[in-house]
Amino acid sequence: MTLLQSIKNYVRSKSIHVSYVDVGSCNGCDIEVLACLAPRYDIEQYGIYVHNNPREADILLVIGAYTPGWEEKLEMVWNKIPEPKVAIAIGNCPISGCLFNRPHTYIDPPVSKHIPIAASVPGCPPRPTEILNAVLSLAPVVFKDYEVKKR
Amino acid sequence: MKSVLYYIKEFARREWFSKFFTARTAPLESPPYFRDFPVLSGKTCTHSLFCMMACPAPGAIDVLRTPQGWQPRIHKGHCIRCGLCVEACPNGVLTSGRILDSTGRDGTALSFSFKIRVDPELCMGCGNCAVACPVNKVIDTQMSHGGRASNEGLLLRVNEGKCLVVHEEKCTGCKTCEHHCPNEAITVARLLEAVQAGEEMQ
Amino acid sequence: MKKTVDVSIPLGPIHPCFKEPARVKCETKGEFVTGAEVELGYMKKGIERIMKGRPWQEVMFLAERVCGICSVIHNMVFIEALEKMSGIEVPERAALLRVVVNELDRMQSHTLANFSYCYTIEHETLGMYLLDMREKVMDLLELITGARVTCAYIVPGGVRFDLREEDRESLLASLDAIETDVRRYMGMFEGGSLIGLRSRDIGILSKEAALEAHAVGPTARASGMPEIDRRLQHPTYQKLQFTPVSRDGCDNFSRIMIRFDELLQSIELIRRCSALLPEGPVRGGGIPGAGEIVYCGEAPRGELTYFIKTDDAGRILDISIQTPSIMNIEACCHYMLKDAASIADVPSTFVSADPCIACTER
Repeated sequence: MTLLQSIKNYVRSKSIHVSYVDVGSCNGCDIEVLACLAPRYDIEQYGIYVHNNPREADILLVIGAYTPGWEEKLEMVWNKIPEPKVAIAIGNCPISGCLFNRPHTYIDPPVSKHIPIAASVPGCPPRPTEILNAVLSLAPVVFKDYEVKKR
Repeated sequence: MKSVLYYIKEFARREWFSKFFTARTAPLESPPYFRDFPVLSGKTCTHSLFCMMACPAPGAIDVLRTPQGWQPRIHKGHCIRCGLCVEACPNGVLTSGRILDSTGRDGTALSFSFKIRVDPELCMGCGNCAVACPVNKVIDTQMSHGGRASNEGLLLRVNEGKCLVVHEEKCTGCKTCEHHCPNEAITVARLLEAVQAGEEMQ
Repeated sequence: MKKTVDVSIPLGPIHPCFKEPARVKCETKGEFVTGAEVELGYMKKGIERIMKGRPWQEVMFLAERVCGICSVIHNMVFIEALEKMSGIEVPERAALLRVVVNELDRMQSHTLANFSYCYTIEHETLGMYLLDMREKVMDLLELITGARVTCAYIVPGGVRFDLREEDRESLLASLDAIETDVRRYMGMFEGGSLIGLRSRDIGILSKEAALEAHAVGPTARASGMPEIDRRLQHPTYQKLQFTPVSRDGCDNFSRIMIRFDELLQSIELIRRCSALLPEGPVRGGGIPGAGEIVYCGEAPRGELTYFIKTDDAGRILDISIQTPSIMNIEACCHYMLKDAASIADVPSTFVSADPCIACTER
């Protein structure tokens, strides 16, 4: 491994921009992601910056059970994220559809049918600490040696 | 000027410096009263399946046969951590947070009762429900197909071309009859009641 | 006549300021906003269709997930509608505990709304203060119910868990700390000239316009309509001698301040509940039967209505939910955003009405 590569690995694991997209959830997971910003959990002390611009993001947090309103739009958001990128499913909805996955529903879970999902955080909704731990444990692994892996 | 001096004094402290560069709030622990995913408490499961009947989430809980006997299994990604299974279980097989503690202290419980409804316009009297019913199988092992039997202790039987619910209180809420009905005429309602033991019991 | 500049600027569905997907299309003339239109439909899950044919223990959780922010009130209105329909009595202690949990939920929802507003006017420090205060409220909710967001606390005939004596003491102690915090942040809002510049006299919704748009909740109460509060009709709140608050500012600033006022009011209500709390059971039992009912309650965002029809086994035959946000979003787009001086005020005005897209579309 070159020196440049190890510097890149270090920087990527210490500075992560997170964007979240709500594809039809009940808001419960939304506000738990927001609660990660609170001084109690303070996601920014780990170098994770949450904002809502997919063009600057490294990690996409997918919340919700994929409603028909998001057909093609989620893929558009996913394509706008620059490489290297990864998506995490937050909550039960993107994994299984949670309570909404019943006869006569409009939703189309799981989200992994539409974009590649690297990890998932189960819970309805998951606690902020669980979200935080998932992002932190994923970040150093997925972006490691990105250039080498691509070749 | 005073405020500038205050800030210089504030930032010159060694504690501030050390905290600025090193302080981390470790990812916090869940408090003990948080209802986490239910885990086994070590008590013996009697396969009454009340946990599965109370569960509001599709595919969240299964009761499986293991070498140690029946055991409920929680599926993460489906379980919504509502804790109804913990409360509904008559034996306290599952535990989560403080729920078992609270139910033991206050004498609260969830009790099930079942109502069977037969739509007389849809019922064809085929007797599939009476034959399939596991309670009937125990009572009358010789039951003919068609569900016509003279045994009075049966839960369901066919009388004059219509399905008749004789002993509703024997129903265990398994919904086997509902799955075997070709015409969706019979439905089982699982009624959950939140009860608390009276003062004299505490 | 030739129009000068006429650009339609879409905000959303993914916008740094909006928590949820909604698209606000602003007709602008230069920087001046002449009109706005909201486009919904990104969150439709069909909850009411899923609810049909299910018993209360399943519908209760679906009702909670209509809106994750104000989940307790959905639970409460649905269960109280069933109770009123089938004549189930609730023990006194349980009725007061419901109010405690409902007011805690209202507190966290209002704090979150004010946090989002601070975020949209780029006053992040104050937003973080509010978010830290919200964590304290969430701790109390978790202490009583065992979960942070979807509490599943209220069941027909009572509540699920009793409030222990040691928990009641820590509840009251935390409320004292929260009240000091709220008063401090109110002082910051009232004294801060920068916040005043970004929020006073912006997004005017006059009383006539609020009546015309059927605005509900804090949005209407900030336009001088205290009588719109549905808590006045609730028997437990009547026992607690609840009086609604209102402000006459009609602008963004009043809408934020009325939420702070209601925070203080909620703290006062919880204290009164705790003083009145009698000994006794928390569950009375009872199974919902057949019937049909319309029942209203006051959600953090306004009036919430459930139309329910059940069969004799207590299963839901027909259900329809009317949530408060749709009226407030309409009022926001057609009255507040009209004649806004700058496109930069559009997100903050939209957020000041506290829109909740998830419960609007369900």
